[in-house]
Amino acid sequence: MLTLKIWIVQALFIFFTTESVGELLDPCGYIKPESPIVQLGSNFTAVCVLKEKCMDYFHVNANYIFWKTNHVTIPKEQYTIINKTASSVTFTDISLLNIQLTCNIRTFGQIDQNVYGIRIISGLPPEKPTNLSCIVNEGKKMMCQWDPGRETYLETNFTLKSEWATEKFADCKTKRDTPTSCTVDYSPVYFVNIEVWVEAENALGKVTSDHINFDPVDKVKPSPPHNLSVSNSEELSSILKLTWINSSIQGFIGLKYNIQYRTRDASTWSQIPPEDTASTRYSFTVQDLKPFTEYVFRIRCMKEDGKGFWSDWSEEASGITYEDRPSKAPSFWYKIEPSHTHGYRSVQLIWKTLPPFEANGKILDYEVTLTRWKSRLQNYTVNDTKWTVNITNDRYIATLTARNLVGKSNAAVLTIPAYDFQGFTRPVTDLKAFPKDNMLWVEWTAPNESVNKYILEWCVLSDKAPCIQDWQQEDGTVHRTYLRGNLAESKCYLITVTPVYADGPGSTESIKAYLKQAPPSKGPTVRTKKVGKNEAVLEWDQLPVDVQNGFIRNYTIFYRTIIGNETAVNVDSSHTEYTLSSLTSDTLYMVRMAAYTDEGGKDGPEFTFTTPKFAQGEIEAIVVPVCLAFLLTTLLGVLFCFNKRDLIKKHIWPNVPDPSKSHIAQWSPHTPPRHNFNSKDQMYSDGNFTDVSVVEIEAANDKKPFPEDLKSLDLFKKEKISTEGHSSGIGGSSCMSSSRPSISSSDENESAQNTSGTVQYSTVVHSGYRHQVPSVQVFSRSESTQPLLDSEERPEDLQLVDNIDSSVGNLPRQQYFKQNCSQHETSPDISHFERSKQVSSVNEEDFVRLKQQISDISQPYGSGQMKMFQEISVADAFGPRTEGQVERFETVGMEAAIDEGMPKSYLPQTVRRGGYMPQ
Amino acid sequence: MQAQLLWRTLPSLVLGLLFLSMPAMGSCSDKYPELLGQLQKQADFMQHTNTLLDLYIRSQGLDKNGLKEHCRERPGAFPSKDALQRLSRRVFLRTLDTTLGQVLLRLAALEQDIPKAQDLEMLSGVKLNIRGFKNNIHCMAQLLPGSSETTEPTPTSPGASPSPTPTLDTFQRRLEGCRFLHGYHRFMRSVGQVFREWGKSLSRSRRHSPHQGLLKGARRMQLSGRNKRLMPRVQLAPGSHRGAPGG
Repeated sequence: MLTLKIWIVQALFIFFTTESVGELLDPCGYIKPESPIVQLGSNFTAVCVLKEKCMDYFHVNANYIFWKTNHVTIPKEQYTIINKTASSVTFTDISLLNIQLTCNIRTFGQIDQNVYGIRIISGLPPEKPTNLSCIVNEGKKMMCQWDPGRETYLETNFTLKSEWATEKFADCKTKRDTPTSCTVDYSPVYFVNIEVWVEAENALGKVTSDHINFDPVDKVKPSPPHNLSVSNSEELSSILKLTWINSSIQGFIGLKYNIQYRTRDASTWSQIPPEDTASTRYSFTVQDLKPFTEYVFRIRCMKEDGKGFWSDWSEEASGITYEDRPSKAPSFWYKIEPSHTHGYRSVQLIWKTLPPFEANGKILDYEVTLTRWKSRLQNYTVNDTKWTVNITNDRYIATLTARNLVGKSNAAVLTIPAYDFQGFTRPVTDLKAFPKDNMLWVEWTAPNESVNKYILEWCVLSDKAPCIQDWQQEDGTVHRTYLRGNLAESKCYLITVTPVYADGPGSTESIKAYLKQAPPSKGPTVRTKKVGKNEAVLEWDQLPVDVQNGFIRNYTIFYRTIIGNETAVNVDSSHTEYTLSSLTSDTLYMVRMAAYTDEGGKDGPEFTFTTPKFAQGEIEAIVVPVCLAFLLTTLLGVLFCFNKRDLIKKHIWPNVPDPSKSHIAQWSPHTPPRHNFNSKDQMYSDGNFTDVSVVEIEAANDKKPFPEDLKSLDLFKKEKISTEGHSSGIGGSSCMSSSRPSISSSDENESAQNTSGTVQYSTVVHSGYRHQVPSVQVFSRSESTQPLLDSEERPEDLQLVDNIDSSVGNLPRQQYFKQNCSQHETSPDISHFERSKQVSSVNEEDFVRLKQQISDISQPYGSGQMKMFQEISVADAFGPRTEGQVERFETVGMEAAIDEGMPKSYLPQTVRRGGYMPQ
Repeated sequence: MQAQLLWRTLPSLVLGLLFLSMPAMGSCSDKYPELLGQLQKQADFMQHTNTLLDLYIRSQGLDKNGLKEHCRERPGAFPSKDALQRLSRRVFLRTLDTTLGQVLLRLAALEQDIPKAQDLEMLSGVKLNIRGFKNNIHCMAQLLPGSSETTEPTPTSPGASPSPTPTLDTFQRRLEGCRFLHGYHRFMRSVGQVFREWGKSLSRSRRHSPHQGLLKGARRMQLSGRNKRLMPRVQLAPGSHRGAPGG
């Protein structure tokens, strides 16, 4: 009771809910048609009809309707207002397969409200199915298939219909996954024509294929014959009998057959002539087969009139024909062992196993006979395919037969010539070998004489392994064959052909060949044999035969510089060197080499070399002439100098009188020789005094110099310092050159100036010439009226100096120089000026000559010489002076020496270490 | 006697009406030799006992204890070969169609005694073959001239009644069914021979006049139809004089 109440309550709830929802979902209108399916490319019109209730409620009419397809508003041009409640929209040439169409109204001027929506499905009507065909697989039901035609984009049903003249069969509806074929439900009835067709139908139409009318038995695909068996016959080794069981269809129809067979190792089938198997049968005997050969058979069948389909092939069955005696003698040849004992030789007889098609059975053994000339026959039975026997040096005839279960083969006969047989001639000619169809063919021209057979031998040429020969025999009528061995590609084969005559073998011809060439495994290694400035001779070794992989047709040399393009040169394969020309000197070249066969090439390693800057002998060609020219020039110079030595000596190395040998040295207060310094002729008359420097200090002017003059002199002194410093290289430092003033004080100058007397004197200093220390302090006679110095007046003082000099060495001299230098720095150099002025009064001609000497000296030696001077002066003379000062001296000194504007009183002095030359 | 005549003529009328009332369905072959060959092959096939009788004997357990010896055709159940050979082609076809119709009815009755589905399926295939044979008879009748004339009486045998008397027990019913099927196979062999004679006649006609053989035969059949005699077709098929033994 309670259950009933609950049920009633639920039912009422559902009822009212449904009612209320129905009210809520009640649309404002509707679209006609409701679920349209239209043809692609056709026109379509939909009408939206508003309900009166909605129109009143929303205060709208058909004018307020607007349409949308897939949420896009359709232009109003496509609308048609049919009446107050209905509006239509028209589409032309529909191309979309699926369109969502909605009818909408705009309420209250702004609110869009969907009234109704439909989905337009587009597609195409089915095309007429074509190529309807049926097949009746034996034991199964009939299956028909067809081409459905174009895609319709709609759900299209295909129905296979069939009927007899008196009866209709049930329709065969296609399954969704196989819409183009259908298998009927009923078993086929043979010998009764049936009419079959296909109907294709979708929402846009229905179309029927052409009807086909046939007897199902003409569409039968029989089951293949089964239980195929093969049996042989001991009487006939060339036949095999096939038996089989036909399928049950043979109870209805006659059958014809295809019987195919092949040998076990063959891939292609041979077929029994169809006319021999054109009717129903259960066995067949295949003839003309090879003895002792396994054959594989298969069979299929179909309706004998050719209507219907071939069955599948039956399972394969095989059988072996019975044995027959070997059909051919084995190939037979011999080798004579290298070792040969006196009167005997070891001969190895070799033969080939017969191929199955010639053996015609299992070879049980071989029978060998040996017959020496006019002696009885010897029989041997051998199981192997070679036999070694020692025979005499006579001529032998060997025969060989192969034996199987049925019989023996014919005998192969071989003549082994006598040891001293000299008739090995008559070779084959025009021997050629070439690959073709993946076989290595050998071709030759037969000799004029009749040949029993040919023996072809071949082996692989290798640097690593010996040539192991294989061989084969050809009939005497053959002049082209292929090598029936297991040949490898990229191997060089040495092939020999030997004609065998009745009296023995002829001469052998050989040739090399490849089954298939390949690029070399390695490229040649190139190196330089000789490198020149513009050329290089390259050399390489022939590639080993193991890496050649083919006939080397040519080499290509690639060479390039680092930045240059690569240049390639082809070289014939017979060459092993090549000269690269037009190379650039002093350039790094990279060169590599490739070897090419018919199939391609392989690069060898790269080799670099550098061309030299000079060709061989080029340096010698330059250096030797230059040296010779230099030597010649030097020689000429020496000769010239030798010839002009006096003049040169005069100009460059004027004779410096040796003070030790001076007459003045002998001058003493006791015997004062009088020199006339003014007499030039006297001076020059003596060769030793040709270039004596003469300093005449004249106190011509008694006047004391004015301060202005002193100033100017001071300025000049500075220049003079530098000049002297510079010229010290030639004539010594100013310190040295002004020995006299250094000895005489400024006071003495003054006194000299004040003295009207003209006693001129000079002091020959103790240092001597060229490290020669004068033995005594000597003085030259001076006509100066100037009173003698204290030292002069006090000979002991002088003696002291002399002692110091002699005892201490250089020390007194250094002190002296030092002293002088300090004096030089401290005392005005007016005396220099004066001395210059005095010199200026000397003969003008002498001055010019001196000037010329200076010029001659300074000109060729230049700064180098000056440098030497500089070093000397800095080290010995100037000591603490700065380098800058020294340099200044160098330049200014020279200028001062040649400047005509300058006082001409300065004379260059030659100074040597440890001494100076008095002037 | 009158009732017997009625019984004899009734199937002919039915068949005639059937031929006339046959709706326009799949078209028949218009090639007489082809159709004749189909009929002959069907008859040859259907005469083999392995297509039906062996199945029935096995399914009914009649293959034991020498029961097979008792499975002999009841005389008169099916028309004898001689009787068939004496019929005109049209009547022969009509008789054949009628007899096979009765066989179908009887097979439907025998179906109830076959328990195995596999055997039932085979039986269903046999029935379909018989219907196909009847279809070819219809087509052959269409090819024969004067196919609209259906008044010729059809000889029938009382033994060819649709079902045996219901008073028989099961064994007797099975044995009766076996005898019926035995007769059926014999009948089909006879039919095949008749059709073979038709084929021989056609061959002779072709040899004489390849294009007129059929027409000539047809004209004679028309003539025989008009004369409403049973024997004239014997003249058309001389070979039938050899009189192969009937069932």
